[in-house]
Amino acid sequence: MEYVSPEGLRLDGRRPMEMRQIRAEIGAVSKADGSAVFEMGNTKVIAAVYGPREVQNRSQQLSDKALVRCEYNMANFSTGDRMRKPKGDRRSTEISLVIRQTLEECILTHLMPRSQIDIYVQVLQADGGTRSACINAATLALADAGIPMRDLVTSCSAGYLNSTPLLDLNYVEDSAGGPDVTVGILPKLDKVTLLQMDSKLPIDILENVIQLATEGCKAIANYIREILLENTKELEYRRGS
Amino acid sequence: MLHNKSFVKKTKGGKVMKQVREHYLRDDIYCGAPSCTVCDSSGARLSSSASTILVVDTNVVLNQIDLLENSAIDDVVVLSIVLEEVKNKNMSVYNRLRAICSNSNRKFFVFSNEYHRDTYVKEMSGETKNDRNDRAIRVATQWYQKHLGGAVKVLLVTNDKENKRKASEEGICAETVESYVKSLDRPDLLDLLVRPSSEDAEMADVEDHRPSKRKVIYSEHKPMSEITSGLHRGIYHQGKLRVNRYNPFEAYVGSESIGDEIIIYGRSNMNRAFDGDIVAVELLPEDQWQGEKSLSIVGEEDEDEDEDVHLAPNSADDAPRTTPQQGSTGVINAGSSRPSGRIVGIIKRNWHSYCGSLEPMPMPGGSRGVAYALFVSKDRRFPKIRIQTRQLENLLDKRIMVSVDSWDRQSRYPSGHYVRTIGDIGDRDTESEVVLIENDINSRPFSAQVLACLPPLPWSVSSEDLSIPFRQDLRHLRVFSVDPPGCKDIDDALHCYALPNGNFEVGVHIADVTNFVFPGTPLDDEASQRGTSVYLVERRIDMLPKPLTEDVCSLRSDVERLAFSVIWVPSADYWEFIFSKKISTLAFCIWVHTHRFALALFMYVQEMTPEADIISTRYTKSVIKSAAALSYVEAQARMDDSRLMDPVTTDLRNMNSLAKKMRLRRIERGALTLASAEVKFQIDTETHDPLDIGMYQIREANQMVEEFMLAANVSVAQQILKSFPLCSLLRRHPTPTKEMLEPLLRVSAAIGLNLDVSSSKALADSLDLAVGGDPYFNKLIRILATRCMSQAVYFCSGDLSPPEYHHYGLATPLYTHFTSPIRRYADVIVHRLLAASIGISKLPSVFQDRLQLTSIADNLNYRHRNAQMAGRASVELHTLIYFRKRPTDTEARIVKIRSNGFFVFVPKYGIEGPVYLTTRAEKGSGEWYVDEQEQKIKKMDGSFSYSILQTVQIHMEVVEPQPNRPKLQLTLI
Amino acid sequence: MGVVQLQFSKTQKVRLHKAKESLSSKMNSDSLVTVADSIHVNHEDGVLKGHGTADLDGQVVATLCGTVERVNKLIYVRGLGSRYKPEVGDIVIGRVIEVDQKFWRLDINCNRNAYLMLSAMNMPDGVQRRRTALDELNMRGIFEEADLICAEVRGLSHDDIHLHARSKKYGKIYAVLQLSTGQMVMVSPYLVKRQKQHFHHLEEHGIDLIIGCNGLIWVGEHVKVKDEMEYQVNLTEPAHKKEEKNDTRREYICRAANAIRLLSTLGFSITLEVIKGVVDLSQSLNLEIHDMLGSEFCVLVAEKEAERRSSNKRKQ
Repeated sequence: MEYVSPEGLRLDGRRPMEMRQIRAEIGAVSKADGSAVFEMGNTKVIAAVYGPREVQNRSQQLSDKALVRCEYNMANFSTGDRMRKPKGDRRSTEISLVIRQTLEECILTHLMPRSQIDIYVQVLQADGGTRSACINAATLALADAGIPMRDLVTSCSAGYLNSTPLLDLNYVEDSAGGPDVTVGILPKLDKVTLLQMDSKLPIDILENVIQLATEGCKAIANYIREILLENTKELEYRRGS
Repeated sequence: MLHNKSFVKKTKGGKVMKQVREHYLRDDIYCGAPSCTVCDSSGARLSSSASTILVVDTNVVLNQIDLLENSAIDDVVVLSIVLEEVKNKNMSVYNRLRAICSNSNRKFFVFSNEYHRDTYVKEMSGETKNDRNDRAIRVATQWYQKHLGGAVKVLLVTNDKENKRKASEEGICAETVESYVKSLDRPDLLDLLVRPSSEDAEMADVEDHRPSKRKVIYSEHKPMSEITSGLHRGIYHQGKLRVNRYNPFEAYVGSESIGDEIIIYGRSNMNRAFDGDIVAVELLPEDQWQGEKSLSIVGEEDEDEDEDVHLAPNSADDAPRTTPQQGSTGVINAGSSRPSGRIVGIIKRNWHSYCGSLEPMPMPGGSRGVAYALFVSKDRRFPKIRIQTRQLENLLDKRIMVSVDSWDRQSRYPSGHYVRTIGDIGDRDTESEVVLIENDINSRPFSAQVLACLPPLPWSVSSEDLSIPFRQDLRHLRVFSVDPPGCKDIDDALHCYALPNGNFEVGVHIADVTNFVFPGTPLDDEASQRGTSVYLVERRIDMLPKPLTEDVCSLRSDVERLAFSVIWVPSADYWEFIFSKKISTLAFCIWVHTHRFALALFMYVQEMTPEADIISTRYTKSVIKSAAALSYVEAQARMDDSRLMDPVTTDLRNMNSLAKKMRLRRIERGALTLASAEVKFQIDTETHDPLDIGMYQIREANQMVEEFMLAANVSVAQQILKSFPLCSLLRRHPTPTKEMLEPLLRVSAAIGLNLDVSSSKALADSLDLAVGGDPYFNKLIRILATRCMSQAVYFCSGDLSPPEYHHYGLATPLYTHFTSPIRRYADVIVHRLLAASIGISKLPSVFQDRLQLTSIADNLNYRHRNAQMAGRASVELHTLIYFRKRPTDTEARIVKIRSNGFFVFVPKYGIEGPVYLTTRAEKGSGEWYVDEQEQKIKKMDGSFSYSILQTVQIHMEVVEPQPNRPKLQLTLI
Repeated sequence: MGVVQLQFSKTQKVRLHKAKESLSSKMNSDSLVTVADSIHVNHEDGVLKGHGTADLDGQVVATLCGTVERVNKLIYVRGLGSRYKPEVGDIVIGRVIEVDQKFWRLDINCNRNAYLMLSAMNMPDGVQRRRTALDELNMRGIFEEADLICAEVRGLSHDDIHLHARSKKYGKIYAVLQLSTGQMVMVSPYLVKRQKQHFHHLEEHGIDLIIGCNGLIWVGEHVKVKDEMEYQVNLTEPAHKKEEKNDTRREYICRAANAIRLLSTLGFSITLEVIKGVVDLSQSLNLEIHDMLGSEFCVLVAEKEAERRSSNKRKQ
């Protein structure tokens, strides 16, 4: 299958180094402490953050830091076929864990001992790169909830098909079975917090692909920062001095 | 820059699924005209002075690809929607179109209209996909016209009347292909045109002198939906049609659903299918299953096609298909013949271009007019093809290429169109060219990109090469090569060095091709595509460019060359050596201390299986300097000449004795000594005509070199498989099935020979015992045995389980090709694997992708086979040329009995052909009958009989039953 | 809290945008930061890093989105939209989660639950004395689960928040099992500024307005603080006499509550005057109560607020 035409266009008309259109919106869930919607092309994810609040299950309480919990869920209607998926299947458990570990790294949990932060991410539309979109949405929601963070976390995926590194794979490219590298970075600290890969990739190409994904992460970080600043401005202005 | 547009579509499959795909529309897609001021012209492909730019629609591409391939057509814009449609409809046309588009000499530009902001069109409600695509083509054409302004005429080429009408309404210039080509005033191009089917009626008028024309000859093909459901219900069976190379009226469809092959007899049952088509077959009722038809040499229909004389086949794959005969065992009767069927539909066509010539016919009256002619393919598997031409007088005595366009029910033959002329019939160059084309061999010169990958010439070993830590300097070793005389691509050399302890260190040095051919380069891609060098009688088609083949890589004498070396210390006598010293345990320890090298060897031996001969194997990249490039004859002469005592000769003798031991050991394990009837030509250096012809003589020196190459290949196979169990490229030889050995057993039973085929060892032993009355008997039996086996194939180790890796012929569990990287791409791959396994280079990325590796292996098998076929065809061609002037009487052996004659094998010339006892006219008169049991053909009155393997005297002569159709005829004296 | 749910017409959008413009024109955005933005500081003066900041290779980096505040050497980021951060003396409204042996556990919209010790509670009889075991058994008689309580932050020890209700002002404002008239509105804590007065008694309407620092705001009928120092809903008056008065009072409660909701969606800071202003505006327009949450009124309020702020500015 030809994923990149000799003219250098991908199936959806992007060039290999181009990301899909991204869009973010803060404050989609009014009851939550912080929430956000994040879209990468047709992938649409909503994230809600509750907390920090009292730990519900006392036995899980941590005396020196906050407990971070994360639940990832994919809506039945998010894919083309409406499959009823059992809750807590392997895949969503794994992604929940991935998101939790990635975000826990950047939340200053020691400032909120004996409390709990719940992050719920729900995939509304899936078109590849849900993992990345979830992390980006969750970052925004955390920032919206006013939870102190070391840095933003942003994530982006990249793949390698037809001997070309491709940024931000969509569903068709994702299901091609080629390597799919998901990278999560702390843009300010310039550190990688997440690196996952499906399938195999030669080591020298891996570097290029990671580099590409990192560039994507940085672009997303800039966008997220813009959105946050916009939002902060708006709130501050309205509140008045 | 990005514009997002999502659209919804339904897809196939059992379920109806809604799919949403993003579709980004861009404004950075350029028009490809260098004169354009708005667009970035760096990627422009169209010529700057073009007055007319063509936009072709899908059907034009699909039907007229031969026209587009002609260099007279240029300045064409190929829209991405057209490419996409072509891709969906016909992959091979798509590939050809892509090839034109990427050819830098052609001015074809691909315009991604589907992604351009201004040319993307949305499907309107009630509009079919075709209409929408046609509209997209028109919109793009209009955009071009507007974009480029009045200076350039943008012409839409379409044969669709509706599309053309709409285009003119929208103010677009549109023309049909015919009128465009006519306007070019190039009559030769007109022949390339495919007639639209609307002209069929007209054609019928012209040919109405053939009464059969209007008759429906073939039954209708079932519609696709019915075929699909039929396949589901198991009524029909799907498979690839393979036509018998030697009998075009017999074909086989390998069906997975039945697990057996279905035989299709006759043109009407084949129902217009071509060799290679994917077809749907319906089984005939069991009472119509036909018994052994192949008993007769000639086909069932009254056409003037019959068996030709050809080279003796080398393996089961080449040989005429024979089905097990129910009568052979005498137990089972006629009820159990194999399933026969008839074709009800064609799932996928495999039409391409065919080489051949026109059937001789009188010139029609108006010589300038359009004439219809029948084309006969050189490959007998394909039916005659009817073509229309305006240049009949030019084509009659030419080899031409023809494409198939259609085949309707009323016509006996498919109709097609002329593609190009290759040359005069009978001309050696032309016929060689035909051989190459028929076997899909790329004989074009290497492209500039490929040549750019070569190292700077003249090349010599530089100090950098020497300074690489893993490259060992072995220039001090006395290395020499032994090859056929006149061999220029020397890819292997040997050395043999007597160690002080009585052992021998033997090294096999293989040209280090991978030092020059890097993965992913155009050079590598080209080599991978070619797969192998092809050896024709008078020329060689190289896999790698000549400088590499004959100079840089070739291990010539007295020059320093880079090599990949395998070095062994083999010793059958190692233990004898140690114990002959009669060392006590204590002394032994001291001895070990003083011989630390030996200690290492000793420990190695303990770890190895006791029967292993080789103590240690070492692989290294090296620099060598060959001391002598010997030919087999020279090497043999040196060994035989007991007066010679020079070092090289000593080495040769040492090696020969080692090789003999190794060979013995191999035969003990059950390796088969097979034989083939290879022939050799002596070619006139001036005219390139064959001067003499004879069997290829195999000497001890050949066997010696072969033995070491085998050992190197086996060692390397073990080494790479150990490191890369999933992605090694190996070579296997499947164990022949009982069925395949059936003909051999039948023959041996008839002559009272008892062959044990239970294992390769048993077979080898019983072949050794098969000594008949004359010296050639054993070899003949071996040739027959070889013919029963299938060929060895390359495969990717991840695709099969280890027991299947077995190489039957060599009786070794693992085998690969390592020793000829200059002329085989498989060896290049193995070199890379070996280099990676000893840690001196990284494994290229292709090995990560098993699918790709498998496809490479498939391609190598295909190319290898084609190269062999081409080689054989070339020999056949030269045989014909040789005998044209030399009618000869010679001795031949009967190898196959048929109802009206038998096949003979001529050992001296390595050819095989039919000898008829009855003439065609008296066919079936029953004067002769066949005794299956004894494999004899007897005259009714019992006065004469011929039995298998019997020696007969025959006369060989080239006859021309039809003009321009010379063939070799064998007659009994 | 963007103005999300409302549907605006084109002109309304333009007006809203204008109002926003005028609001933002009075602000400088230099002090705004987002997570991981570095804050410019003059290191020579010495810096104390406060809330919402962290150190990264000697740089001061924000860990929250909000405004940078500088008090002498202290630099901190005042976050927006986060949960309530208790400070001693804050008046908060909380809901009883749990009744324990000696304390009630209250949810005050904070990181952790707060404690209200029995000992930090004025007894119903008003006598200062030691709490006996009997008092402990009767704790549920004072506050039950799900009761709303108004209290003051007494102190923060470790991570525990302790409240007290040792004044007649404090105590139960809403009991589950008793009918009382009033509404509880929750807003983002950052919209509530700490002020001198958090209890407001609007005498002309007979209404109590308690603006909790934790973003919980109570609007309800006025409760007379009885001499016995017991809080009880005023039910003693004969119903028929009060009927008409109750109606207008209830209407006012609803208007006030809606005003708060509207201000919360608009993201304006919430004070008594602003609430009153919005209610007055709605009354002057003779608006139905439910129309107060409509888009037209929303735009009006925004414009009014912009006007008010600019006039305030001019006065200064």
